[in-house]
Amino acid sequence: MFAWLAFPAIAMAHEHGHMSEGVTSRGMGKRARPALAVSATIDSKNQLWLAKVENQKILVLHSADNGQHFSSPVAVNAEPENIGAEGENRPKIAVTRNGTLHLTWTLLLPQPYTGEIRYSRSIDGGKTFSAPITLNDDKRLTSHRFDALISDGGDKLAVVWLDGRDRDAAKEKGETFSGVSVYMARSDDGGVSFHANRKLAEHTCECCRTALTWTADGPVALWRNLYGTNTRDFALANPDSGKVRRLADDEWSIDACPHHGGWIATGDNDTLHAVWYTQGKNRQGLFYRRVKGDRMSAPMAFGNPLAQAGHATVAAEGNIVLIAWREFDGQSYGAMTLLSKDGGVIWSEPRRIATTDDAADYPLPLIHNGQMHVVWNTLREGVRVIRLD
Amino acid sequence: MRIFSLILLAYLVAWPASAAELARFDSGSLAKIEARYAGKPFILSMWSVNWCGHCIEELTLLGKLAKTDKHLPLVLVSVDSPEDSVVIQKTLHKLGLAQAEAWVFNDPIPERLRASIDPSWQGDLPRSYLYDKAHQRQAVAGVLNEAKLRSWLKQ
Repeated sequence: MFAWLAFPAIAMAHEHGHMSEGVTSRGMGKRARPALAVSATIDSKNQLWLAKVENQKILVLHSADNGQHFSSPVAVNAEPENIGAEGENRPKIAVTRNGTLHLTWTLLLPQPYTGEIRYSRSIDGGKTFSAPITLNDDKRLTSHRFDALISDGGDKLAVVWLDGRDRDAAKEKGETFSGVSVYMARSDDGGVSFHANRKLAEHTCECCRTALTWTADGPVALWRNLYGTNTRDFALANPDSGKVRRLADDEWSIDACPHHGGWIATGDNDTLHAVWYTQGKNRQGLFYRRVKGDRMSAPMAFGNPLAQAGHATVAAEGNIVLIAWREFDGQSYGAMTLLSKDGGVIWSEPRRIATTDDAADYPLPLIHNGQMHVVWNTLREGVRVIRLD
Repeated sequence: MRIFSLILLAYLVAWPASAAELARFDSGSLAKIEARYAGKPFILSMWSVNWCGHCIEELTLLGKLAKTDKHLPLVLVSVDSPEDSVVIQKTLHKLGLAQAEAWVFNDPIPERLRASIDPSWQGDLPRSYLYDKAHQRQAVAGVLNEAKLRSWLKQ
């Protein structure tokens, strides 16, 4: 990383009149590029909740008819913030059984690769939101990015993110530090308060999204770890037991940023369903595997590598497992799905359920009370909620 | 923070006009670059100012080489977007690459541009292609190795 040095103050006085909407920077100004990355969840009354970003505000909307009609948007943050909402960055939304809404996001700061993890909640059904707070408690200007959020459905919350504090501290002492760290913030009172940040691991990949799911044994986190000097394979961790294990022996050794993370969901009997991307020595492309206790199924390849298949996410409920990812065929993006109704053993053929010819977010699978949907935000068509049979 | 941003932005806006302009990279750009370098070797290197720390390592190396070799045949392509031009140019200047040929992705579908460079490239960065005289090219995933790059340049 590199730091912005102090700039001559004289530059400030006479040039700021030239600032226009065309000149943008992280941390201020409007991006001409729309923020397409959204999140969605479904509450106990079957309402679909959507979080999206417009003009540096997170907007929350809900729909009682599976996305055909949405409520008027309510802004979460009163003050505009540069919210990460493209690529591997997106605002996160979770809803509890009693209807409390929780949101986290990454505030991107002007200095390259720096940010803060932000949190807000609503206890009145999305009418109003609490003033955002910063969850990273180190007061350092460094990388706090790629947040993941999970609720147990009640008062427990877990948030994890990639954190540069240990790397920066090591560098200040003249030591080397590969990668960054994963930190976690927990709440046991529905987001009223958070415990002090806790480090889950050091030496992780710097710029892939993290993922969280909730099991009977508490939260489980997934991130792209650094094994050895630069092998960027995924780690699966249970913070409550302290157990951390490698998701797969992909052996992707590279001094690079894949910017391509994984996802996990919990199905029946606490079976974990994981999807990830690798270009490792042992396998290349998108993969799925089940994790039940100490047993893991063989990695199953999916997606068309010639169509840049990537950025898969997975949802699970009972024995239903739904994977969604995006492909590009040279002309159009396709939202792709794979479906299993027996807990991830037998899978449907891949389906291209929607397409678009312009910029697109990654498709997001949702399962609730046996109903399956894919939420896909695209520049041309807007947010589509596609029902699957 | 906001004041700092204003200072930063004002400084960036005031950047001297001598810095090379960023060219907009579209799906026909690589063919034009290749035609311009016909019969000559060159390095095509992709990076991002928004999320790729390893790219800074690579650009630092390239900046070092450019300092001693004013005719380093280098083509830099940022996979960000034209809205990031100011911070891209600032970064290149800081790393001694203000005079390097620099492009920025200009397509709402970056996959289209990636496919025009290499359909098997999935977006990991940095990513480079070493073109020899006959334009047989060697893909390099990850940060370029200084020793290997120096020996390649001597060929």
